[in-house]
Amino acid sequence: MSADPRFLIVDDFSTMRRIVRNLLKEIGFGNAEEAEDGQVALTMLKAGKFDFIVSDINMPNMNGFDLLKVVRSDDALKAIPFLMVTAEAKKDDIVLAAQCGASGYIVKPFTKATLEEKVQKILTKQS
Amino acid sequence: MGHIDAALLASQDRHNDVGAAEEAAGASAAPDSEENIHYRIGQLTRTLHNALRELGYERDLADARDNLPDARDRLAYIARMTGEAAEKVLNAVDRARTVQQELTEQAGSLRNRWRAVATYSAGGRACTPTGKQLIDETCEFFADVGGQADRTNTILTDIMMAQDFHDLTGQVIRRVVTLAQSLEEQLVKVLIETSPVGQRLRPDQYKLEGPVVAPQERDDVVSDQKGVDDLLASMGF
Repeated sequence: MSADPRFLIVDDFSTMRRIVRNLLKEIGFGNAEEAEDGQVALTMLKAGKFDFIVSDINMPNMNGFDLLKVVRSDDALKAIPFLMVTAEAKKDDIVLAAQCGASGYIVKPFTKATLEEKVQKILTKQS
Repeated sequence: MGHIDAALLASQDRHNDVGAAEEAAGASAAPDSEENIHYRIGQLTRTLHNALRELGYERDLADARDNLPDARDRLAYIARMTGEAAEKVLNAVDRARTVQQELTEQAGSLRNRWRAVATYSAGGRACTPTGKQLIDETCEFFADVGGQADRTNTILTDIMMAQDFHDLTGQVIRRVVTLAQSLEEQLVKVLIETSPVGQRLRPDQYKLEGPVVAPQERDDVVSDQKGVDDLLASMGF
């Protein structure tokens, strides 16, 4: 893992992408790119190196579950930590995310402290 | 008997002859077969359609159908305006942060210069007691600016986080718009079709439903992050 990990923020709402990006910057991770859905994210993941994915679930074109499955089945991408940040609060969705290989799950609305805690925990486990 | 019940029965009577023939055809299928169920749904639809027409509700349905696109447009307008408002707030927060940063840097620079003056005056050269007090208070003020900027930044973060309402309400609005669209399509079908189309619904791969608006009324959802963490912990994650 790089000392300055490169994040990919995937969310169809630009407001939420900005919020997550600013929060990551505040907690010390200023290297981040944005994608508006899973399909765009996948193209970006294959084009450049990313160290961490923060993704919504409910998105057009390709949702977060499908993106997670593709990432986990791709040898070049499967080791990238994948944190779900979503409004989906159904227990079935949380279980499904864990079974598909999500590294963490945050339910919206969330706080800066929650994001920081989950990101740090995942990074610590990764290193 | 109510007005609607009477009309429904009258409509049913008028179509009994046709219905009897259709029933005979329908009865040839197994009682619970898919064809039989479709046939019965079709019959109910035709009965309802005729009853609505005779009651004059067809016009009301048409009006409702005509009004749905307007309702969708209004919801889309709300989503767009709230989105733009959230973006404006985020832009303002970014600008305020920049101002705070500049203020902190300038205060730090001035504080260092005043400290030099304080050091000079501490040697008893060219400084009255009032002047020395002024220098001390100025240095103290500049030292506080950094802390005040941190507190302002915390408030700005709270303001920024509050803009997540756009994502959450936007998802709910999108679902309502989809629902309105579906309702509109159904109304159009009721209005223009006399026989049902045996079209199978494709099950969604995932049944995502977005933000839960009343979590206290359900036991299949979590209401906060603690619920997520507890659930994952119970699974060993």
